[in-house]
Amino acid sequence: MSATPIPPIAALPAVTPQSIVPTVLPVVQPPGSASFGQMLLNGLDKINDKINNADSAVRAFALDDSIPVHQVTFALDQAQSSMELALQVRARLLDGYQQLMNMQL
Amino acid sequence: MRATEISLTGLDVEWRRLEVIAENLANANTAAPVKGPVYQELHLISGPRNDFGAMLNRTDAGGKGLDIDTLSGVAVQGIVASSSPPRLVHEPGNPMANSQGFVAYPAIDHAGQMTKMIETSRIYEANIVAMSLAREMYTKALELGRPR
Repeated sequence: MSATPIPPIAALPAVTPQSIVPTVLPVVQPPGSASFGQMLLNGLDKINDKINNADSAVRAFALDDSIPVHQVTFALDQAQSSMELALQVRARLLDGYQQLMNMQL
Repeated sequence: MRATEISLTGLDVEWRRLEVIAENLANANTAAPVKGPVYQELHLISGPRNDFGAMLNRTDAGGKGLDIDTLSGVAVQGIVASSSPPRLVHEPGNPMANSQGFVAYPAIDHAGQMTKMIETSRIYEANIVAMSLAREMYTKALELGRPR
């Protein structure tokens, strides 16, 4: 009975690390007059959209519960988290403003 | 917030899967009409929302593997009926019985359906846990550098 020899273990191929970390963020260029205030307003519009989405999801669920509950809670959660982000932006903006106002000249 | 959106697709699919299992269990005792088809066990087929083969065979990255941006969750591909022969039960008194006195019931694997149901529920929960963790990370990131 002849046993087939076990082949030696081949060297592993070199693994190239996947580039997840150095993601180049796209430069956000708001159309038209790219003022900071306009950017804030655009962000507020998006939050308003999310709140409206959540509102219509709740409305639809109240009328007819054939849509899955998790879609309603997801829409609510999305609206809430973007609202929290907006509050953070506002808090930091105000903080920066106040630091400027309290500056000793 | 892509992680939560991926988890949301998982929730959608498992919700649908539970509907299919409920349909199977509800029809477990449905006798076939004498000259009609018997109910067949239904299976929900789900798969990656993006073409998985194309994701794997990405050539533009120089063989660096999958692109993280192609991840987009799961989707329902369809519902397929199995083709197992019906379970014939000898019930001569049943109005649905054929000339030999046999009634055709769907060949539904009851225990298998129950197992699948529990599995579905657990996967649903796992997707919820993944989603709340993503949410937690988002909230933590909002706290970064917050003025106290």
